[in-house]
Amino acid sequence: MDALVRELMPYVGRICGAIALDRGDDAMQETFIAVLRNLRTLREPAALHGWVRRIAVREAVRVARGGLEDSVDPTTLATSAVAPIDVATVVDVRSTLAGLAPEQRAILVLRDVEGLSEADAARFLGVAEGTVKSRLHRARSAFVGRWEP
Amino acid sequence: MSDEERRWPVAGLGPIGRARALGASIPSAAWAEGILDAPYDATWPWITDLETSIPRFDTQVRKVQVVERAPVDGAERLRITASSFGVAVPFEVRLEDGFCLMQARARLYLVLMAAEPHDDGARTRFFHLEAVPLPGTRLMRGYLQRVVDSDFRNLSRLASQGF
Repeated sequence: MDALVRELMPYVGRICGAIALDRGDDAMQETFIAVLRNLRTLREPAALHGWVRRIAVREAVRVARGGLEDSVDPTTLATSAVAPIDVATVVDVRSTLAGLAPEQRAILVLRDVEGLSEADAARFLGVAEGTVKSRLHRARSAFVGRWEP
Repeated sequence: MSDEERRWPVAGLGPIGRARALGASIPSAAWAEGILDAPYDATWPWITDLETSIPRFDTQVRKVQVVERAPVDGAERLRITASSFGVAVPFEVRLEDGFCLMQARARLYLVLMAAEPHDDGARTRFFHLEAVPLPGTRLMRGYLQRVVDSDFRNLSRLASQGF
């Protein structure tokens, strides 16, 4: 199992770092606990990365939400908005990401890092495709000319 | 904008986080975690001198002998024997900075030790775990917890005495 953890660490680290930011290390630990506890339920070894990605995104969003003073009501996630980001004041990638909701960071990771289609990202997150589009638009606009993943 | 500022944030899993994750997946695993009153730079080299350290903090182990030692993908792989109650048990060991995984042959027994600097390295956060990673061994956890707690108390005492 340790060999599996070592192999997956860079992959999980990218997902958790981008979504949970300063709590990325906690999210990573929670991801591996969930992965190792449930590994026997994985029927198809070829699906490992997709399965781990699902757990990592879920744990990263959960941990990131836990770090907010005002926790996000899951029923409002599909329509939750964030304050517009003033691109002129953007300092760096991390601070830009910090201005987004965890769910928006998750969509950025799924679409622009993992390369999922909008339809697949919507299915993955359990939201409507239109929600993915609107969140992605808002997230990308925060990075205009600055994002270099 | 610096390269650091442009970099995509990447999370990390330290030795103790890795050990906690591994331990959480084994029903029989018992562990102890706390702060040792000794600098990390003194603690980890002492711990990884397995022939010296283990018999001193684990009262059930009389002798440890390193049989083979070889580098492997950024770590060290050791083959050791640990003599306990008159029986020499062979272990395979993976040793990294702050992380030591010991598995008895056939994976009948597992020992994990992990450490990270605490208070800027002036003290050491230490994690110690023992487990029987086989089905149906959950009931052994109580016994293993007493073993681990005893080991940790001994380690704390040795650390405060400068090993």
